[in-house]
Amino acid sequence: MQQRSTDSQKGKHEEFKTFVTLNVEPFAGQWDRDQRIPDSVISKLAQSGYLGCSLPPDYGGQGRDVVTFGLLNEAFGRASSALTGVLTVQAMVSMALLKWGTPEQKRTFLPPLAKGEMIGAFALTEPGAGSATQALATEFTRNNEGDRLVLNGSKKWISCAQFAAVFLVFGTLDQRSVACLVPRETPGLQIEPISDLMGFRAAGLAQLHFQDVQVPSTNLVGKPGFALSHVAQVGLHYGRISTACSALGLLRGCFEESIVHAATRKIGDKTVGDFGMIRSLITRMGTDLEAGRLLCHSACRAEDDHLPEVFERTLTAKYFTSRAAVRAASDAVQIRGASGCHGSSPVSRYYRDAKIMEIIEGTTQIHEDILGKMFVDQAGRLGK
Amino acid sequence: MSTEDEKGIKEIVKRFILSSISIAKLDDDDNLFESGIVNSLFAVQLMTFIEKTFAIEVGMDDLDIENFKSLNATTAFVLQKNGLRSG
Repeated sequence: MQQRSTDSQKGKHEEFKTFVTLNVEPFAGQWDRDQRIPDSVISKLAQSGYLGCSLPPDYGGQGRDVVTFGLLNEAFGRASSALTGVLTVQAMVSMALLKWGTPEQKRTFLPPLAKGEMIGAFALTEPGAGSATQALATEFTRNNEGDRLVLNGSKKWISCAQFAAVFLVFGTLDQRSVACLVPRETPGLQIEPISDLMGFRAAGLAQLHFQDVQVPSTNLVGKPGFALSHVAQVGLHYGRISTACSALGLLRGCFEESIVHAATRKIGDKTVGDFGMIRSLITRMGTDLEAGRLLCHSACRAEDDHLPEVFERTLTAKYFTSRAAVRAASDAVQIRGASGCHGSSPVSRYYRDAKIMEIIEGTTQIHEDILGKMFVDQAGRLGK
Repeated sequence: MSTEDEKGIKEIVKRFILSSISIAKLDDDDNLFESGIVNSLFAVQLMTFIEKTFAIEVGMDDLDIENFKSLNATTAFVLQKNGLRSG
């Protein structure tokens, strides 16, 4: 993503990479084995201001442009997909709230989210509603006085839920979709950690159970009927930008690990990189990396310029980099051979994490369905 | 508000819609959302287009399907946000 970046953006990218080299890369494997990110790491992330990267300074954020946000995710994605997931989810909740929150909600929730004093989680997916969000079964009803909402239902595969302080929960109210802020300590909310995931093992996933959970009606975000079409779309859109760039970072990790191994590992009097078959794998990785950089930059720039084509560009970037990351991780393990299959090499973790990139914020197949329709619908532009 | 303003806005929005969704023609009062020809992603695309093109911000209070359901509705919404028509 750097080629078209400004000097300021390049400077921030170097800062992010230095932070990652010192604070993330040496420890990411252990977090993966522990299936947990230490609180001290989240605190350090908060102190750096990175959790409020895109929020305006008026709310305590850094006010960085989206290209810089993309570079942040790329830098972190290079070392830990799980920790990058915290950046992803924080942005999804924060940016949905920034766009659709009431002035009071913004004053209350955005400053602690920006400073990382509060971690948010995006509670959309349910045991029976993954890609099919229209099938949400989580239900809100109004109490007799009409000043509070009563929430029943459950959510599953919710990233950061193990340590989040507030949840943006999606459900229905009078058969219309709604989004609502639910603080962690609300009585009736039970949080059940999910362990033994294939990848993103330290991302703090959990299942949420709501039993007669009561929240003020003023916690509704956006108007009833627009939660899926507008509130969730804004969150998912930022989630896709973040995930696209995180997958790009993972792809860079695979590439860098592979070229170092290819240049140094000896087989007889040759190096691994002397073999044409290995060069083929590295060539595909390197070209995917460059293409992914351009696509991610294009998506982030479109968001900064508030262009309507930003959705197509973001879907394209996420679709490309997540699939390329899976290919690259597989090839990186192949190039390393047996050592690539062991936890002592980061590529074995990349291999597991990469697959998750194809699932989150819309599966590859959902992207194909949406993008395919978008492209066909553009036939009218050809004037034929 | 002038008729020219209204016609110009309507034409710009119409061009965007016709270049984004696969329909042969679009009448001024055709309901985009009832017809099922657009999805929820298009709703935010249209919102982003309007915000960018006409330098307005769509906020929570504007979330009303009546504001975006047709060419005429969207044009009236843009005029109102720009202070060219009383709400």
